[in-house]
Amino acid sequence: MSKTKWNIILRVSRQKDGEQPHFDEFNLEVDPDEYVLDAVERVWAFMDRTVCFRHACHHSTCGACGMLVNGVEKLTCITYIRDVTQNGAKLTVQPLRNFPVISDLAVDMGSLYSRLEIVGARSVLPVPEAEVEKPASSWPKEDQQYIRLADCIECGLCISACPSAATSGEYLGPAVLAGLQANALKYKSLPFNLADSQDGVWRCHSAFECTEVCPSFVDPARRIMNLRSQIIRERLSGLFRKA
Amino acid sequence: MESQHNQPSPGKFWNWFNPVGRKTGGWAFILNRITALGLTFYLFLHLIVLGQLAKGPEGYDSFIALMKNPIAVFGELLVVAAGIIHGLNGIRIALTTFGVSISTQKQLFYALMAIALIAILFFGIRMFTA
Amino acid sequence: MSTIIQNISKPRAGESTWLWLIKILTGGLLVILLLVHLIVNHFVVEGGLMTYANVVAYFQNPWIVFMEICFLATVVSHSLIALRSILLDMNPAPNVLNIINWVLGVVGVGAVVYGVWLALTIASK
Repeated sequence: MSKTKWNIILRVSRQKDGEQPHFDEFNLEVDPDEYVLDAVERVWAFMDRTVCFRHACHHSTCGACGMLVNGVEKLTCITYIRDVTQNGAKLTVQPLRNFPVISDLAVDMGSLYSRLEIVGARSVLPVPEAEVEKPASSWPKEDQQYIRLADCIECGLCISACPSAATSGEYLGPAVLAGLQANALKYKSLPFNLADSQDGVWRCHSAFECTEVCPSFVDPARRIMNLRSQIIRERLSGLFRKA
Repeated sequence: MESQHNQPSPGKFWNWFNPVGRKTGGWAFILNRITALGLTFYLFLHLIVLGQLAKGPEGYDSFIALMKNPIAVFGELLVVAAGIIHGLNGIRIALTTFGVSISTQKQLFYALMAIALIAILFFGIRMFTA
Repeated sequence: MSTIIQNISKPRAGESTWLWLIKILTGGLLVILLLVHLIVNHFVVEGGLMTYANVVAYFQNPWIVFMEICFLATVVSHSLIALRSILLDMNPAPNVLNIINWVLGVVGVGAVVYGVWLALTIASK
């Protein structure tokens, strides 16, 4: 940690029950090598105990601290202050888009979690199914026996960034579709029908914003495209199946 | 009571066209949607205007004379531009859906828009100097 | 504080796969058909279709009539299916969606019928 200190103005979006959202400004002295989450936490600890925000692991594993930083989706525990503002400037934090606000910076992620469960998204995958960057087939054979945590940390940044999710709460969203894709349509009924509907893969308009903001290499856009290919193949081969 | 603010709603459809915070793919989406709406409007206008043909030579030839006006030519250039941009971006969407070039979709977009720019300039020069 | 569990909309399986496939296939076709339409209309034809007489002469060729009708059907399908996608993004209620489907269907069929009538009318002059 450097000894430099910056003076910044942290603008925090505030919204309690029934209120209109507004910004509160806090003058803070920060170390630019700290993270945005640290700044928010300092405001809570020393300036205003009513600021409400979510955080847990502080190392990009739990997915709790997603927020809009200067209008862009970020995991605040790994976003350096020096990357998003400068000495004497403002830093704006707002809650994620497309989720109902519970209080200030905390949003209700219930819809995401329940949908992930419904589509059978797995949190642990055997390596050959994990679709990691280096294809599992190129791993040494003895490593292919292992299982691995799924990349998705359920942070919701992708849903916040998705232009389709902005107008439709019915759209399953990138995270859910990505979670479904790893099942490779093995479960033929509900998840397949959910994916292959107008609130499933066909609502995606290839904006690729989800992949852009994902902090965890899930690459939801690629998975949605892959899911589309799977579905088209299934539908086309279904034309030739005997009744 | 849960806040209604920040939730997805049909009224937020202007957000489709909001470029703030968007990256390349988001720009492509916005461009594609705007050109789609423009082209659809032009399509139906074109069909109606062609009805002039059925009225005989006076109807059609007088309309053609009207369209020589530089503002009209510029409008036509906009349509040509929209068609080229939308078509090339559509090719990109088709490619990425079938797994081609997903990891390089940004570069693909830039390359296609460079081609589009050249084509638009070519047609623009042709249309205004003909 | 209650958690909102949003209703998973009743999945209507397969409904949009075929529409999407038609959209993408007509899209691909349009790249070709549009090129043909523009090149033939503006670069190949004598006088570039700038007078009524040119247009009538041009439409005497049955292949031209055929090409233009194909182009019309393809572009109307693509445009209206895509328009429907844009409207779907606004999350219409099921009964509103039914109305939208009906209106788009009527407009689409109407546009193609009108175009065919126009083409045949010019061809018969």
